[in-house]
Amino acid sequence: MKYILMMHGKRADWDEYTGWSKEDLQRNVAYMRSFSRELNDRGVFVDTKGLALPHEAKIVRAGQNGEPVTDGVFPESKEFLAGYWVIDVETPEQAYQIAARASAAPGPGGMPANMPIEVRQVLGSHSDLGL
Amino acid sequence: MKYILLMSGTKAGVDTYRAWSKKDIEGHMAVLVSLNRELTESGEFVATQGLAAPQEAKLVRGLANGLPVTDGIFPESKEFLLGYWIIDVATPERACEIAARISTAPGPGSIPTNMPIEVRQFAIHVP
Repeated sequence: MKYILMMHGKRADWDEYTGWSKEDLQRNVAYMRSFSRELNDRGVFVDTKGLALPHEAKIVRAGQNGEPVTDGVFPESKEFLAGYWVIDVETPEQAYQIAARASAAPGPGGMPANMPIEVRQVLGSHSDLGL
Repeated sequence: MKYILLMSGTKAGVDTYRAWSKKDIEGHMAVLVSLNRELTESGEFVATQGLAAPQEAKLVRGLANGLPVTDGIFPESKEFLLGYWIIDVATPERACEIAARISTAPGPGSIPTNMPIEVRQFAIHVP
């Protein structure tokens, strides 16, 4: 079963994160790297990606002629996707355990950031939705 | 340049979609499948995934002992990720063009849904 583990944050959270000390940032990134390596060694790793800053995000709709319209505005409260892991595990419980590890990544002063991680199953095909 | 195109919706939005007629759903999917094929042929396709229904989503935190806690509650207004496309394109404008194509996928009665698609570039340094 494939699951996606998602980390979200508001623009204000990003501003806070980018204001962390160099040492705190390095500790956090080192944890994430070793976490991904461990998932790979366990054979459950599929993919991980970090996304560019929310300030660069665009919201796109099609205009009447099908041309893209990019003038959408995000509310301040918008939770942006910061990054994700896709894992392939046997049970949902395993997915939750791995998500808890991501949540425990160190924040300022080395204390666990305790970020909430959203866990969702990834569909094999559209028919899995039961439509 | 790699971009991710994110399609999101609330639980209520997903319930509306599930109530579409079979014909409307098939018409919608046919356009998306044909777009995937077109992107594969142009060499811009990287990946696409649909996610399971938001009703099954869990919010997980780690306790001090490392055990997962899954009792988080999502607000009604929460925009859940429904699915995504990863594309590898030459320009940001091309990424927006493809997002507009997804936005024009037909809804009930073959009228374009005009769903907003969030376009994000990947970070250069992935942790």
